[in-house]
Amino acid sequence: MSAPLPPQPFGPEDLARRRRRAIVMALVLGGLVALFFVTTIVRLGGNVALRSL
Amino acid sequence: MSDISTDIASPTAAAYGGQGAVGDYVALLKPRVMSLSIFTALVGIAAAPGTLHPWLAAMALIAIAVGAGACGALNMWYDADIDAVMRRTLSRPVPRGRILPGEALGFGATLAVGSVLALGLMLNVVAGALLAFTIFFYIVIYTVWLKRATPQNIVIGGAAGAFPPMIGWAAVTGSVDLGSIALFLIIFNWTPPHFWALALWRNVNADYARAGIPMLPVVAGPRETRRQILIYSLLLAPVTLLPSLLGVTGLVYTMVAVALDLVFIACAVRVFRLSDGPAAEKACRGLFSFSIVWLFLIFATILAERLLGLVPFQPVIG
Repeated sequence: MSAPLPPQPFGPEDLARRRRRAIVMALVLGGLVALFFVTTIVRLGGNVALRSL
Repeated sequence: MSDISTDIASPTAAAYGGQGAVGDYVALLKPRVMSLSIFTALVGIAAAPGTLHPWLAAMALIAIAVGAGACGALNMWYDADIDAVMRRTLSRPVPRGRILPGEALGFGATLAVGSVLALGLMLNVVAGALLAFTIFFYIVIYTVWLKRATPQNIVIGGAAGAFPPMIGWAAVTGSVDLGSIALFLIIFNWTPPHFWALALWRNVNADYARAGIPMLPVVAGPRETRRQILIYSLLLAPVTLLPSLLGVTGLVYTMVAVALDLVFIACAVRVFRLSDGPAAEKACRGLFSFSIVWLFLIFATILAERLLGLVPFQPVIG
């Protein structure tokens, strides 16, 4: 039975790539929040102002 | 204090994944295929009867683009074994070891679910369901099942690539109409001659044979492939006139389509008649190059008609 692989730390290049991926992921998620927010406003349109109170 | 540099240098680190750069993940999305999906979906949105808020149209295009990217990533996950033995696909991120197959699967599945939910919730359920079916069709029916089982694989794969204008149309109308089916049929009929011309020109038969993919030129030979190219090209001409008969397009589109169809058929006849030597290779290259221009002009003309406010014909059928 083969022993499980020991944990392998990532090298500086791997860490730099991971950091760039994390930054892009953060930007994408932030962009999605903005897109969904604006889409909600667009879909609501004038219905909020015209609703019966 | 321990020196970790020896561990960092270990070649087994790649086995843990997490090696892919942003560019590798972008490559998983097949950006060129994605751009075609965006363009044809845009035409579907423009050609559909009714109006859509520009912001929502942009959201629909983004969701369709992400769905198309999901198809690319899931395709590269499943086809990693054959990508590794074909020259054309050897440099993809999974065969290169930059991204693990499991990472491609997770990335593709996340994008697939996200794009379908976004389109269904932001636009309408029909558009979301069509996008879900497209992804299912491309991955399960084409990639997993028929790509490795039948020489007509590219015909089936072409159907998946033909759905984006239907999805764009459904984003506006919330329905599947004859007009959107006509746009689907144009791309569906265009794909086989386009791809088989490329296969004959670039002589990728050895690649596909090595990978065990029963592409038509490998299984049936170049002569039968040339015959099939001619058949699909002849079928393509009447199909391009369907939008006019259905009242989607008008005079300008019809004239442009007839002219483009005549050139397309002339190129296909040339491919059929020339079977050997540099002239045959040139004919295949010519048809492949023109087919790209042809598809762009056909859809650009539909878009231009709508942007210029040109009046479409009264529907003859439908």
